[in-house]
Amino acid sequence: MSDQPLLDIRELQVTYWGRSGLSMRRQPFHAVKGATLTLKAGETLGLVGESGSGKSSIANAVLGLVPASAGSIRFDGVDLSAMKTHYPGEVRKQIQAVFQDPFSSLNPSMTVEDIVSEPLRVHTGMNRAERRARAAELLEMVSLSAEHLSRHPHQFSGGQRQRIAIASALALEPKLVVLDEPVSALDVSTQNQIINLLYERRDALGIAYLLIAHDLALVHHISNRIAVMYLGHIVEEGPSDRVYSAPAHPYTKALLDAVPLLDPEKQRLRRAARKRAPPNETPRDVSSGCPYKNRCRWAMARCHSEAPPMFAVEGGGAASCFLLTDPGNTANNDKLKESATQ
Amino acid sequence: MTARTTTHRARPRRLALPSASQVITGAAIAVLVALAFMAIFADWIVPYDPLRQNLIQSLQPPSAQHWLGTDDLGRDVLSRLIYGCRIAVLAAAEATGLAVLLGVPLGLFVGYRGGWWDWCVMRFVEAIVSIPGIMVAIVIIAILGAGLHKAMIALGILYSTSFLRLARGVVLAEREEVYVRSARVIGASDGRILLRHIFPNIAPPLIVQITLTVGAVLLAEAGLSFIGLGVQPPDASWGTMLNTAASYMDLDWFLAIPPGIAIIVTVLSVNLLGDVIRDSIGRGIAIRTEPSTPSVRFAPTARETGQSDQAIAPGPDDVLRIDGLQVVISQRGGSEVPVVTDLSLAIRKGETLGLVGESGCGKTITGLAITGLIGAGGRITHGAIRLDGADLTALGQKQMVSVRGNEVAMVFQDPITSLNPAFTVGDQIAEVLQAKKGLSRKDAWARTIELIDRVGIPRPASRANAYPHELSGGMAQRIAIARALSCNPKLLIADEPTTALDVTVQQEILDLFRDLQDEFGMAILFVTHDLAVAADICDRIAVMYAGEIVETATVDALFARPRHPYTAGLLNATPHGSDHTPPLPTIKGSVPRPGTWPAGCRFANRCEFVEERCLSRVPLAGKDTRLVRCVRADELRLETGR
Repeated sequence: MSDQPLLDIRELQVTYWGRSGLSMRRQPFHAVKGATLTLKAGETLGLVGESGSGKSSIANAVLGLVPASAGSIRFDGVDLSAMKTHYPGEVRKQIQAVFQDPFSSLNPSMTVEDIVSEPLRVHTGMNRAERRARAAELLEMVSLSAEHLSRHPHQFSGGQRQRIAIASALALEPKLVVLDEPVSALDVSTQNQIINLLYERRDALGIAYLLIAHDLALVHHISNRIAVMYLGHIVEEGPSDRVYSAPAHPYTKALLDAVPLLDPEKQRLRRAARKRAPPNETPRDVSSGCPYKNRCRWAMARCHSEAPPMFAVEGGGAASCFLLTDPGNTANNDKLKESATQ
Repeated sequence: MTARTTTHRARPRRLALPSASQVITGAAIAVLVALAFMAIFADWIVPYDPLRQNLIQSLQPPSAQHWLGTDDLGRDVLSRLIYGCRIAVLAAAEATGLAVLLGVPLGLFVGYRGGWWDWCVMRFVEAIVSIPGIMVAIVIIAILGAGLHKAMIALGILYSTSFLRLARGVVLAEREEVYVRSARVIGASDGRILLRHIFPNIAPPLIVQITLTVGAVLLAEAGLSFIGLGVQPPDASWGTMLNTAASYMDLDWFLAIPPGIAIIVTVLSVNLLGDVIRDSIGRGIAIRTEPSTPSVRFAPTARETGQSDQAIAPGPDDVLRIDGLQVVISQRGGSEVPVVTDLSLAIRKGETLGLVGESGCGKTITGLAITGLIGAGGRITHGAIRLDGADLTALGQKQMVSVRGNEVAMVFQDPITSLNPAFTVGDQIAEVLQAKKGLSRKDAWARTIELIDRVGIPRPASRANAYPHELSGGMAQRIAIARALSCNPKLLIADEPTTALDVTVQQEILDLFRDLQDEFGMAILFVTHDLAVAADICDRIAVMYAGEIVETATVDALFARPRHPYTAGLLNATPHGSDHTPPLPTIKGSVPRPGTWPAGCRFANRCEFVEERCLSRVPLAGKDTRLVRCVRADELRLETGR
């Protein structure tokens, strides 16, 4: 594969229009405000953020479920954003998805065979017997078996349903699969089974994943690169290990710190170190300056007036924080690193 | 992967008398079958030609020759009634068929397309619906002319509006489902999504609507024929027969009885059948198949096997003590399945006990059992729940109402839905204070502001006037906590209170619980699936699996050295529990549903250390607070990959 990325998102904006209250005027809501991301073939990009950060909107824009209001999405050299939501079949079959809720993402009135072979029916000229054989093969690939073909989704557990959804997404051997919170609705003991399956399939088939999740720890396991979103902006991006072990943006660090540790002793120390601060109220819209300024411990005067651009980070990637501008200002960076390793 | 085999046990046949609903269903079906039979074979079974007049024998009462008598022209009423069946079936099929063919496709189309199409069609439909139905039919008949078929076309057009609205409504709801999004991602065309993906899900309400329409058409046909716009004399239909009967009411009242009863019985049967079909077509979980795990369907409870766990030694400052609790829920078909068995635990004043396990382990139902809120279908069969020594299981509904809120309070997972959207958050807290503490409105409001301030919400006075939807998830959960603490309860049950929140907010809420506990001194039962959250907030942890406690320990001991393989598996499987790249550690299979628990150790079919001994019941054993339900607990050195 050449150096050209498989998925190239530049300055993407996604805007929803909705009515609020009694006013009849439609108000814009900017879910994604200029996101730039790239994903190489066969790699995994983890997109992390809290609810409302715009990560699912990026996924929907890539999938052609919502139109991009500005910016571009190029997939394999084809400009998707220009097509709005009407992708030709050739593009459609290369981009598939697995959604969060395995209880509503499978059609309750269809059999497993119908669900898994639906992409084949839409995109290939296979006859019924061929489709059935391929569906059985796909089910075996996700550790289910051909005997499950005639059952309905409600006869399966959450983990099994997610396997069926994965089998259907892999049916056409796509180049890109968008995984929108693929395990967050599952039990802990089932989550890793699905992660392992996704990981193994990626390496076997050379698929690229765009993995959307709220859990940095989980994303870190299977991503090559991680991008962190906050209020529609990408605030940090870089190699998975660097972002996880040495976060450069205060928000990434806050996200990591907030994940409770499995060690009560360390957790106690961390809690003691945590400053008693008033609860954070995330502003829905920030018109000027850094989007994170209201919650940031290190916010400076400059953060309120100008929006920080992306600065390169030692160890790879970039982050949009003024703390990174001054090379002499390593004290701040050390401060950031310090508790990430705790 | 789950062992999903196809070993189905032959179930013993239950010999039971049919229930009332089964009898009614049978009767309704019998009536409709008889109706169809008479409609098809009318030519062979009628005793007389329905049109043959015999004016000498007019208006005869029922006799051996004419079972239902004769009408004004001496025609045999029974024969006319049987021929009326044919008209009724024909009319119902014609009008209902037309209504479905016209209404459903149009409804699907406008529902899916939306926008301008939807607006125009719906305004037209609303215009039709706003005029009395019979008026619309009469207008259409006036245009088309009288006669059965024309009348049925009129009715078909009229009733198509209800099918249109039904189809549109279902499409509007289904269109937002994730499976429709999946179909769009796959690349299915709009037409395909509509017909192949959405349409099958309309079937259940559609069938019900069809039966209702059939009933309505039968009535309308009779009505239209009665006023002379439907079936034209001398042809026999129930409506024309009623028309005749009306004219001769004074001379022969019996003439109205046979067609009247025929109409009533038929319409009633169709509607009853519609109800039955609606109830039996359930989507998704309603139709659970037989459990397919190879295990005993009803694991004997510890009590039945005489192996009850050792009772927990009573402590002096126990706020809550549960002894040998067993909860069962009833399933479809009336059988009861245990969901919690032989559960014993105690919580001291100011202590936080974590109840940890995956979904389906019985944690939530335990919390609900304490508050007496198990709901219909579930009940406590054994055990005692003592709050400060008083057994809550012995209390009546009224007494439980005063316990809830005053002594036991609850915080739920989803803060936005656990608050009433119709009232301001301040009102909801003040209401509790007024009802439970008897405070005046003014005092309650002042205390409410204090509480809202106490849970760390800035600008409490103005926030008290906010509605739940105006708050973020974290703020709403703070309100829910303030409401729970308003009456200073002895025990707070928190059921996954941070699961729906973002991690940074979760951390704040956990800190808040801790601070409030220091101040109010209540005991907390913290139900969670996340061991890391439990590590943060709890003093002691009880791990639940398949309806029973498998391990209890102080928080430090549990995380330092788990002794039950399930606990160790959970610890390893937690995402931040390990740093290595995949394959990540897993526990094979998934949590068995209640009723499909293995007979011995319930974890046996997923455990990598399973032995012969594990196939019989294992008691919860150990010293003090360190209890474990594993026969190999002493010999196993369980690794946690940290």
